[in-house]
Amino acid sequence: MDLIIGGAYQGKLECARKRYSLADGDIYICSESEGIRYGYRCIYKAEEFALWCVRTGNDAVELLEQQRGEWKDSIFICEDIFCGVVPLGADMRAWREMTGRMCSFLSSEAENVTRVFCGLEQVLK
Amino acid sequence: MNIFVSGGNKNGKSGYAQDIAVKLAGGGKLYYIATMIPYDDEDRARVARHIENRAGMGFETIEAGRNIESVLETADEKGTFLVDSTTALLLNEMYSGSYEEEADRNAASRCISGLLEIAGRAGNAVFVSDYIYSDAARYDDFTEMYRSSLASIDRAMAEACDTVIEVCAGNLIVHKGELP
Repeated sequence: MDLIIGGAYQGKLECARKRYSLADGDIYICSESEGIRYGYRCIYKAEEFALWCVRTGNDAVELLEQQRGEWKDSIFICEDIFCGVVPLGADMRAWREMTGRMCSFLSSEAENVTRVFCGLEQVLK
Repeated sequence: MNIFVSGGNKNGKSGYAQDIAVKLAGGGKLYYIATMIPYDDEDRARVARHIENRAGMGFETIEAGRNIESVLETADEKGTFLVDSTTALLLNEMYSGSYEEEADRNAASRCISGLLEIAGRAGNAVFVSDYIYSDAARYDDFTEMYRSSLASIDRAMAEACDTVIEVCAGNLIVHKGELP
């Protein structure tokens, strides 16, 4: 499993498309309403899966641990949402916390971790 | 040589960019391209503070809140240009009048072509931007448009420049190329 993180609009998906030669059909886009689906090479917007977890009372790390076999060869892409002020809204705070714990978990599981900054790749692991 | 500098706010980007521009100029012509158009006393105080900070460094200030490539008409192209910042330039290009108007959706591409023209023609150039992409918030459409527009400028400049630097608490992370 590989993890790509970075701020909004930094070119994370373009980086993954190039490096892994991904076609549109290889990419699953997580959403607040649908959560996550497996069976795709690339799981994009993992932070939206974390928000789905917050909304539905699930824990992202617990779910991922239970379903490890489904994603162990996938590429995860997650937005870095950790450098701003602590959000005032309780749900946004919970989202940030859930996403942070999920990213740390995915980082520890990943073979490669890349951060994308202004379209440039930085190897973190 | 062209250098792109970004990073969080209040991390020392402007000071570092000024130092590196002085170094690149090597005693030659050195221009500070001031992009901020002051609207109130708070803005004017900030501008005064910036002018004081760079006093004695040898900068000639050219004000260009819009049409950034126009600075090449009056300046010596072989000189060194410090553009601080793309953030202010984009905001000015998005709104030619008041903030009540609808934002100009072509602003980012105009900024990119102007900045690339400077990068292509100037002896040296240093471009400063702000990294505003890593917070947990759901913004309104205008703010998201501003963020995605600034990111498209950042990425174009990062691709075009020889060296890309992220400033973090006064420390440098070199993402591309080498320090001069």
